[in-house]
Amino acid sequence: MTYEAREFARVRYSVLLLTAATWVLLIAQPYGMAGHAHLHAGNSAAAQMQAAGWALMLVAMMAPLLIPSIQYVRQRSFKHRRARAVALFVAGYAASWMAAGAVVLAIETTVKLLVPMSFLPAAGVALIAVVWQFSPIKQRALNRCHLHTELAAFGATADLAVLRFGLTHGVWCVVSCWALMLFPMLLPSGRLAAMAVVAFLVFSERLDRPMPPSWRFRGLASVKRMVVARARIQSTDPRTGSHA
Amino acid sequence: MATYTRSNAWNNGGTFINTDLLWYAKGVQAMQALPLDNLNSWWSFAALHGEYITDPSFPGWGYLPSPPATPTTPQPPQSIQDKYWNQCQHQSWYFLPWHRGYLIALEAQIRAAVKAAGGPSDWALPYWNYFGTNESSIPPAFTATTLPDGSPNPLFVKARYGPLGNGNIFVPIPPVSQSVMSNDLFTGSDTKTAKPGFGGPKTGFNHGRGLNGNLESNPHNQVHGAVGGSLPNGTYGLMSDPGIAALDPIFYLHHCNIDRMWAVWNQAGNKNSTDPAWLNGPAASGQREFVMPLPTNSSWVYIPSQMDSLSKVDYTYDTLPALAPAVNMLSQRLNRLGAVAAAANVKEEEPVDHGAEEELLGANEGALPIKGASAATIVKLAARVRAKVIASLAAPSEAAPPDRVYLYLENVRGTQDAVSLNVYINLPKGTNPLGHPELLAGTVGLFGLRLASRTDKGHSGDGLDFNLEITDIVDTLHLRNEFNTDSIHVTILPQPPVPDSGEVTVGRVSIYREGSK
Repeated sequence: MTYEAREFARVRYSVLLLTAATWVLLIAQPYGMAGHAHLHAGNSAAAQMQAAGWALMLVAMMAPLLIPSIQYVRQRSFKHRRARAVALFVAGYAASWMAAGAVVLAIETTVKLLVPMSFLPAAGVALIAVVWQFSPIKQRALNRCHLHTELAAFGATADLAVLRFGLTHGVWCVVSCWALMLFPMLLPSGRLAAMAVVAFLVFSERLDRPMPPSWRFRGLASVKRMVVARARIQSTDPRTGSHA
Repeated sequence: MATYTRSNAWNNGGTFINTDLLWYAKGVQAMQALPLDNLNSWWSFAALHGEYITDPSFPGWGYLPSPPATPTTPQPPQSIQDKYWNQCQHQSWYFLPWHRGYLIALEAQIRAAVKAAGGPSDWALPYWNYFGTNESSIPPAFTATTLPDGSPNPLFVKARYGPLGNGNIFVPIPPVSQSVMSNDLFTGSDTKTAKPGFGGPKTGFNHGRGLNGNLESNPHNQVHGAVGGSLPNGTYGLMSDPGIAALDPIFYLHHCNIDRMWAVWNQAGNKNSTDPAWLNGPAASGQREFVMPLPTNSSWVYIPSQMDSLSKVDYTYDTLPALAPAVNMLSQRLNRLGAVAAAANVKEEEPVDHGAEEELLGANEGALPIKGASAATIVKLAARVRAKVIASLAAPSEAAPPDRVYLYLENVRGTQDAVSLNVYINLPKGTNPLGHPELLAGTVGLFGLRLASRTDKGHSGDGLDFNLEITDIVDTLHLRNEFNTDSIHVTILPQPPVPDSGEVTVGRVSIYREGSK
């Protein structure tokens, strides 16, 4: 096994393990950490619970998307700085999403006060998410999510570079997925199921390589292609390449 | 016996007396007569590799010198463009199998036209082996302006400027070389193969970003840049950029030679990747499939496992010469480093990547813009990593081989695809670089630079990465006690110089060690 393959496997399995553990936690405590805490304006404990729930949601849904970037940060950093570089990258990324989370959670709180137990706000956001999903802006943001920019190697400049990389990576991720992430937050019930669907969708669309920005259906094409390609390979004679 | 045999384009002096070339010209003529929105057209085939059809300036297809008179309309529907166009695989272990399928599909189109015109039903593309004796120049059939019957020659293109920019089209050998043929690993590194391997690094569907494979870097990229060449105003020839390269008919003869080199390499017993991710192609992981139009107006989807031997595709070459046995680099190095007893113990191994660790050893600070005829930077080394390298060089053995060292040009971005960068280590100021071949780390061609730098053409804008093995230079420095230093000077001499209107920037210059500990 090449060094790159071994390194990639190490990062991938660590992140997937963390993701799986977070899903277990969310499923085990759906009414606590995942955000269905009783909300009262000015209740800081509830706000902290909300923020913690949002953070868990991010880990569960977004961590798998960071595998290539974490691998990249490790590869471009001195060995003795790898852990620190990854921590700063993740901190920058999380900072972008936590800032977005402040807005998302404020909307969630307001909606639940104004129209408790209504599916209408979630339905409205779902509509916006669908339009956003097919828009050129979405593609522009998705393309930027694949960007691996150069990183400084030494000292504070290196720290700042990975932090900035994490922040900008996070910003483009927010631009790409804000509506998809807001949707489950506004659901009066079925939030975990909606989160799972959105997580699957964002993972699937990230498998696609960058494309020219335009209006187009996007999201699950990669899953469809995977199924078709694997079915074709199953029916192909590996020696001759002809179909059985 | 294979149905189709590809022969040397320089047969019969590389003129139209070579009927392979004459029929090729007639086939190209027929394909060029079809409109852009016909998938069987010359134009759509070029777009299938890469395109700038709608760009509002050079290298937009509406701004290219004629001939050929390149159309920009009518365009096929977006769904067709998404399925077929901008597919070429570069900086990837799919580079060779994707281009093998691409050649076969182009040949099917030309062959259909040849047959319709009464030509041979087993016509196959000729190859341009620029390494052949007296064959480094382009075959004359490509520079004639007319065919024997007096009609315009479709093999002639105006935007083909050559390595000196004067229209003299040849491949400069060196720096172009076939030294990559001594590699024995498709992907990875071992004592005979530098990273990332003969066939390229493991990637997903990769339409241009990241690190070049060894064969792709040299000769492939450098031949593209040399043949296309450039003008002082910063524009360049068709062959220099993957978004216009396949408009030039010499493109397919160059790729035929690259494909022949792959076949020769396999014939010598070297194995392709057996990783299922390579064999099954990127579509099995949910990414784009490799798909070509056929003259029957159907499409052909293929995967690397169908391309990994010539017999599977019913092709052969007129000759597949045996390779000279490669020198064992490890025993040579051990001798050089004074470990003579260890060198005697080195045995020929099965080609295998032992997974030696790669670790950053040093880097420069800040991006390095390259303008004019030279640029220089200082790569600062990390003392603790340098100490590891020195320790490994001081006490090497066959069981614990000495570290290898690579220089990387990372995130190279810009617009000058025809430029080659000659990279020197510790070149004394004011000296003539030609007098110091021992300090030349290597030469890299920037084919694909513009596309990989863009953020609006299906790329993220990372640019290209290049690596050059500098183990020999580091060994020499070590033996002179000059490697125990804080920094290494890197001088980059672009050829041709980067004009004021052009742009080339190296995001970071770094040095990595590869070793067992």
